[in-house]
Amino acid sequence: MTTATARRSAAAFGLIVLSAVLVVTAAVAERPEPEVYGTFDGDEMYTLLPPDGIPAIMDPEFVTGEEAAAQMSAEESVMGLATEGDAVCWSTWQLDHHEIVNDVFNGTAIAATW
Amino acid sequence: MVHVRQVEDKTLTFIVSGKLWRNSLIMQDKETGSLWSHVTGMCMEGEYKGTQLEMIPVVQTTWAEWVADHPKTRVLKKSEEIKSAPYQRYFDDPEKNGLFSTVWAQDRLPGKSLIHGVMLGPHSLAVADAALADGTSVTGKLGDVEVKVTRNADGGVSAVRTDTGEELVVRTAYWFAWSTYFPKTAVID
Repeated sequence: MTTATARRSAAAFGLIVLSAVLVVTAAVAERPEPEVYGTFDGDEMYTLLPPDGIPAIMDPEFVTGEEAAAQMSAEESVMGLATEGDAVCWSTWQLDHHEIVNDVFNGTAIAATW
Repeated sequence: MVHVRQVEDKTLTFIVSGKLWRNSLIMQDKETGSLWSHVTGMCMEGEYKGTQLEMIPVVQTTWAEWVADHPKTRVLKKSEEIKSAPYQRYFDDPEKNGLFSTVWAQDRLPGKSLIHGVMLGPHSLAVADAALADGTSVTGKLGDVEVKVTRNADGGVSAVRTDTGEELVVRTAYWFAWSTYFPKTAVID
């Protein structure tokens, strides 16, 4: 993995949501000021969008690796889990639009977040 | 991040709360409306306040590297055509370090340096991405515990305690974000 590749696949601690917010708010005529909702551990929590303003994935559907060839780019950033019997990955380019996938892996209910 | 979305016997379903804390996503569970930080996995407000979600180590890499290592992988289906990262310009701009001003140790690494972070109790360690060439490892300390951080064949990064062999969760992040959360972090660059 080259540094350039690593940079492209940067996991920015959910900073994506910031950018998503910027894109969404840029689409409305007047961009609302972020509202301070409260504080936690000394830092402010801000409200930028109503709950569900960015739609999390509730019932994920999957394709095989071969089927995915048509929808994926070689350099596309993914997060993945693998065991001996199963492997799954989520494109973070896709997660930019959803932030959260409510999924099940190896019998365990999980949330993949970005 | 990957979190186990089970607390005691209850399975939780998470939505995007629309709120941010320390420049990152706050999740909200549909069952109780509680608010959770996706970075720490900690419930910040609501019925589960103080509860910590279990985290699972996740690999982050490129599609080409992932499918080469896991040819039988399942892939999240796309309902829309997405051909690039919509926020590439944000990633590429060294001046854009989050939406809100944060205090971070600017002198230790450039803010947009990619790091791989591990934690143990109150201790934290950040390994610069540039310090991990393909197939190499570095060794650092989390308090008194030695930890080995390795670049795997699939391009991902993993970490283990050398005393017990226990795998630790690796969080890949920008330096400015990591150092906001963990201002006293150790650094290997």
